[in-house]
Amino acid sequence: MPPPKPSKSEYIETDTGNKISRRSQIHGTQHIILGGKTVIQAEAVIRGDLFRGASTDPNNPSTPPSTPSVAINVGRYSYISKSAVLRPPSRLHRGTHSFYPLKIGDHVFVGEGAVIEAAQLGNHVHVGKGAVVGSMAIIKDYGYVLDGAVVPPGMVVPSWCVVGGKPARIVGEVGEGYGVEGADGGLARERYRAVGRA
Amino acid sequence: MSRPFPYTFISCPCADTPVPDPARKRRSRESPQKQSPQKPAPRPSTSEGEKKGLAAGQQEDEDDEQTFDPRSPRSDFSLYPPEQLLYCEECHQIKCSRCITEEIVSWYCPSCLFETPSSMVRSDGNRCGRNCFNCPVCTAPLAVSTIENATGNGTQQGPWVLSCGYCLWTTLDIGIKFDKPTNIRSQLQKMTDATPPAAFDRSRQASRTLESLKHPLSSAASVEEHARDRDVDQPTPKEDPAAPPMSTDARFAALKNFYRAQIAETSNSPNDHLSSDFGFSSPGALNRLMSLYTSSSRLGGLYGGSKKAKSKPPVMREALTASEGLCIAPKNGEADIIARLASPECGWEGVASLEQRAAQSPDARFVEDLLPLPVLLRTKRAKRCKSCKHILVKPETKPQSTRFRIRLIALSYIPLPTLCPLAFSSSSSLPTMAPTPDLDSLVPLRPIHVLLTLKNHMFDPVRITLATPPVTPGRVATKVTVLSPQFEIGANSDVWDEALQGASAPLSSDSKSAGLGQRGVPEAGKVWDKGRNWTTVVLEVVPGTLPGSSAEGGDGNPETTDEDVVAVAASKKDEDVLEIPVFVHMDWDADAQLDQQNLGKSSRADDKVTRELAYWMVLGVGRIQASL
Repeated sequence: MPPPKPSKSEYIETDTGNKISRRSQIHGTQHIILGGKTVIQAEAVIRGDLFRGASTDPNNPSTPPSTPSVAINVGRYSYISKSAVLRPPSRLHRGTHSFYPLKIGDHVFVGEGAVIEAAQLGNHVHVGKGAVVGSMAIIKDYGYVLDGAVVPPGMVVPSWCVVGGKPARIVGEVGEGYGVEGADGGLARERYRAVGRA
Repeated sequence: MSRPFPYTFISCPCADTPVPDPARKRRSRESPQKQSPQKPAPRPSTSEGEKKGLAAGQQEDEDDEQTFDPRSPRSDFSLYPPEQLLYCEECHQIKCSRCITEEIVSWYCPSCLFETPSSMVRSDGNRCGRNCFNCPVCTAPLAVSTIENATGNGTQQGPWVLSCGYCLWTTLDIGIKFDKPTNIRSQLQKMTDATPPAAFDRSRQASRTLESLKHPLSSAASVEEHARDRDVDQPTPKEDPAAPPMSTDARFAALKNFYRAQIAETSNSPNDHLSSDFGFSSPGALNRLMSLYTSSSRLGGLYGGSKKAKSKPPVMREALTASEGLCIAPKNGEADIIARLASPECGWEGVASLEQRAAQSPDARFVEDLLPLPVLLRTKRAKRCKSCKHILVKPETKPQSTRFRIRLIALSYIPLPTLCPLAFSSSSSLPTMAPTPDLDSLVPLRPIHVLLTLKNHMFDPVRITLATPPVTPGRVATKVTVLSPQFEIGANSDVWDEALQGASAPLSSDSKSAGLGQRGVPEAGKVWDKGRNWTTVVLEVVPGTLPGSSAEGGDGNPETTDEDVVAVAASKKDEDVLEIPVFVHMDWDADAQLDQQNLGKSSRADDKVTRELAYWMVLGVGRIQASL
């Protein structure tokens, strides 16, 4: 489904083919890596400013990283829907609260209003509308999070599994053909092409 | 999972063959007569002339209500999303989850993704033997964390707990702490099993001593045996009151041991010759009965058939001591529980819900009794065709791998249907501002055009014939017309081949036909668009009116209140969903592989075989709105 298109120049297209809505909120762009052909829709919030070392460490304050550390890494043909939130996961480790990078694979779909705080979303992952993926959760390739599900912090969703509910549990598996180009789970390219089309 | 509009489902033909009959399935390869109620017309051969008349034949035949009805309760069990279907190359048939058998390739923990060897699965109770636990309150995974807030550097020490990140339950709530962060399951087992393994030995010893005590008795005159049984009936062993109550599992194990010992004793007593003759160590009911008769008759011959002899067969006693698994109900246990339920400090929150108790020991009544649950294992499964036993899907054993060794999915064989509404207003007054129709509220009686794209994944070009009933079944009569029911789809040639064949456009020049089709007017008899391995055709759909809606009868009656309409719509759930059954018949010339028996039937000059496949699919177009 092509998204509604308010204006001609709604999307900025980068060299690598990323289509980023002008109305998205992206913080800390130097800590975000987009793999190319990624779509970021309006009102999506991407918190690249939350990276490791951002929290002030009282013991050794002299550790500003020389190279900008990566907070969010998004693969190719991934799609961040309207008002979704991507937020690097954090954890209290040895008394310090530190952020960890959020890795998003290829062909990932993040539904409208979803909040992602996972450590990792694999390839071909589908996160439904209004779903919440808790801190440090891992969703393996071809995982499917149903609309409105709340994946608890630290949960691991194995490949091909469908999770839903609050808290999310494994409720089923997707078919073997899931992710085939053009079929369910393999629509990422089409979705990309449809974005911003006149 | 209900799907958003538009969607396509494919009906597995197995719905018409309720009994999986291998012979029948195999026959279906040659003659499509198998699904005779749905088949349009008997087709004796695949000659070209016959095929031409096919579409007409379909149209005729479909009138006698043999079309697939997506609304019939049966069809719920045969409609599948295309990606869930498999295809058996041996049967040449679509296979759904009901036409396959599964076998387990490997077990793994969904939390730590470690494989569990099959020998360990049973002993671990089908659960992860590592550190993976689910919260007994909310089923979220539990994390191992330390209580000590070790701000200082150095290794974290101190007690560990399992804590839930979702409902904030921790094992501290039930007073459990762990000494080390590894091997939590065995630590937990040790804590919850109040009876250490020594207790098992003790109970075994106890029963063994009893055995040794009995054996000389039982080998002696059988008259004494009865008395011995009576003797044992008196509770002889004294239980030390200090012994802690056993956990359910331990008691079960004790009882099991006890009864096994009992069975061994009673059946191997020299009286039942039958069992000893056959060497059965475990007596079934029959065995016991038989020995009862034979022994009595034997003894009857010996002792002159006294009444007493009949009652001599050994009697199994019941568990008598706690070490044998006996558990005496507490004097006012029920009353205590009720009092606790009613007490203010327990309250509603303190009582375990049915769902929580289902996975726990039967004694768990309160939240404090709930124990962390080791994560249930999941499996990777291979799938076989039920009729010919060929493997259709075989995943790699490693839990982390998403690859398959064998994966015969239907999408590699049948064209993948995709549906999208055509942004084209049939009123043709304002073509510029023609938005795609809102599929969640289709206006009755206003024609819309839907593009159906079929994408071929085979390496052979495919001829397709589509057929729909002119009016959809059910109370909402939607008129459907396929504007070009017969067409071809190109082969799914290798993209690289094409690219390497030079930049000469002609091969991919079918995009020029796209230019022809784009922005054109849907025309009968013409395909809308065509690509390398896909073809798009147009369906003209005139949504019917909902019964009782204001649009019924053509002229709108605005007086009818919307409440009526809603009530009617609610009475028949989802009647307003517009689903179009489409019959797909495809045939193609495949390489004759190994099935030689086919060659005689319908072979071409070269070793090509004409294959055909026919199935129903359902296009979920949208929801018809109640009023105009």
